[in-house]
Amino acid sequence: MSIFIDQSNKVVVQGATGKEGSYWTKHMQDMGTNVVFGVTPGKEGQQVEGIPVYHTIRRGMCDHEADTAMLFVPPAFTKDAIFEAMDAGIRKIVTIADGIPLHELLQIRSAALSCGAMVVGGNTSGVISPGKAMMGVLPYWIERVYKPGRIGVMTRSGSLTNEVTAEVVKAGFGVSTLMGVGGDAVPLTRFAEILPHYQADSETDAVVIIGELGGTMEEEVAQAMESGIFTKPLVAFIGGRTAPKGKRMGHAGAIVTGSKGTVEAKVDALTMAGGLVARKPSMVGPMLRELMT
Amino acid sequence: MKLFEFQAKDAFRQCGIPVPQGVLIEGPEHLPDAIDELGLPCVVKAQVLQGGRGKAGLVKLVRTEEEARAYASHLFGERGVRRALVEGAEPFTGELYLAITVDAAKAKATILACAEGGVDIEQIAATAPEKIVTQAVDLDHGLSGFHMRNIAFGLGLSGDQAKAFNKILTSLYQAFRRFDAELIEINPLFVTDDGSFVAGDGKLIIDDNSMPRQQGYEITRDHYDHDVEYEAALAGIPYLQFDGDISLMCAGAGLTTTVFDLINYAGGSVANYLEFGGPNYTRAVDAMELCLRNEKAKVILIVTFGTVARADVIARGLADAVARFKPSIPIVTCIRGTNEEEAFEIIRSLGLTPLSETEEAVQQAVDIAAGRIS
Repeated sequence: MSIFIDQSNKVVVQGATGKEGSYWTKHMQDMGTNVVFGVTPGKEGQQVEGIPVYHTIRRGMCDHEADTAMLFVPPAFTKDAIFEAMDAGIRKIVTIADGIPLHELLQIRSAALSCGAMVVGGNTSGVISPGKAMMGVLPYWIERVYKPGRIGVMTRSGSLTNEVTAEVVKAGFGVSTLMGVGGDAVPLTRFAEILPHYQADSETDAVVIIGELGGTMEEEVAQAMESGIFTKPLVAFIGGRTAPKGKRMGHAGAIVTGSKGTVEAKVDALTMAGGLVARKPSMVGPMLRELMT
Repeated sequence: MKLFEFQAKDAFRQCGIPVPQGVLIEGPEHLPDAIDELGLPCVVKAQVLQGGRGKAGLVKLVRTEEEARAYASHLFGERGVRRALVEGAEPFTGELYLAITVDAAKAKATILACAEGGVDIEQIAATAPEKIVTQAVDLDHGLSGFHMRNIAFGLGLSGDQAKAFNKILTSLYQAFRRFDAELIEINPLFVTDDGSFVAGDGKLIIDDNSMPRQQGYEITRDHYDHDVEYEAALAGIPYLQFDGDISLMCAGAGLTTTVFDLINYAGGSVANYLEFGGPNYTRAVDAMELCLRNEKAKVILIVTFGTVARADVIARGLADAVARFKPSIPIVTCIRGTNEEEAFEIIRSLGLTPLSETEEAVQQAVDIAAGRIS
């Protein structure tokens, strides 16, 4: 059993009839994901890739069971769609929306913490357990990246994830579960909240985190290691070591403000906690080998 | 989007936060009218987005018309300022710091206050964090009386002062919510001798993701350090200009930032950071046009590893851009991801070598910029 998703999850796709929703629903199914129904208000009775579409999750749940939700919903409607999923009792949710308003991110995360839901995203490519299931827009067909294996990967990035994970595979490893927490200033689930799942996962031997400047998620990982919540080997790559202060480097969350969010602080914290931090993506594979042998 | 002080104070006024009477002027010739209205002494404040305006000589208390005229011509002349806010000088007996921002981990708003206003709050946070009073607020529950009491009495205010202060805090919280603020700050918040409060300065950063529902704010040249940064922003392509000679035309924010690091490690220097991933991946032509506007660039380095941002689409865009602009500087490519074999073919047909290792591509770009290879 993977930490977030495998073939046993029953997935509802919100926004299934859109161009992106239908295209990626097919890919999710092709990789093994068990998609049970889709939701698009006003389109009940249609089919997408062989699955029935309902107006609401509530109506779909009359005919099917679902425990996981994948959103292909625009940013402005994401809060509503996530609240609909949580109201229906769903506790695993992924949103790839890029551009969710900041205050709504706070409200979603606050509600998710209250009801014990894990909402992953936004501004992410999603979650994948290669060979088992995928939620999002991940190119599982690129074999030199998405090879099944025993390394957990957590990331704030998209293309950089391909870059770094290719190095993990090149070193002879593969991926158990890759969790894209996304590049927003308020990731709905944070690195440290995923760590206990990797710790308990018998299919994960070590974890690679792909971080960047800004925020405090990498420092929280170091704290979890210091306090013994996470004890498996950990390698990190953190982008933006040479980034100038006060400049936003692409992602909303990738900015150093005042003394907060410097890569230096993250590297120090992780190193003190016993992790290895790679300066370049190409060092991630060799560092994993060093820790695992 | 960071607002100018006069925009922030407009927002404050709309939510009931007292601000000094002020007049916005767009040239030194408008100063006499402003002084007629406000009287002397008054404060002339350059409307620019950089912090530390006081230290940079961009704010001045002027006591005579002569002094005012000389300072205005300095601001609008040598300093190249486009707008200034002239305000009546508020007599005050004390200064506080008050701000609301977001706490991503707690998923709440955070109120920050300090009895010492008008100072660099980052410095206090680093040297004497115990002086900063904080309070988390859940957005769905809203601001409660106890939040305000914790702040007001934490600052050492009297019961009467606390009442007046709570009105300001209530209004500031309203403004925080109404303007989808990433940060809203009053520093200093003047305490006047009759015990009321006036916002001496105003800072308001609106969350970029919320801009579609915040009407009436437009980006201007003043929001950026360079012309091309402004043009890129109008085109919707993230772009930052630097002093080096390697022009980055990459896709994916994290990957572009990593290439930026790798260039610096290899002894090179970046001319510009341009990221055309996500919804912009079909816009290689626009991206290259921006890169070529940077005259310092000696080489263009393209690194991508896309999923939805398909390699073949990016390579075809590159071919279009090369046909259109016939760039005189060399191009190094490392375009990978979905349909990369097709991409490699297209790149070869342009007479370029498709590289597939990022560090190799970075080294080649650094060598070209240094004149070691051509």
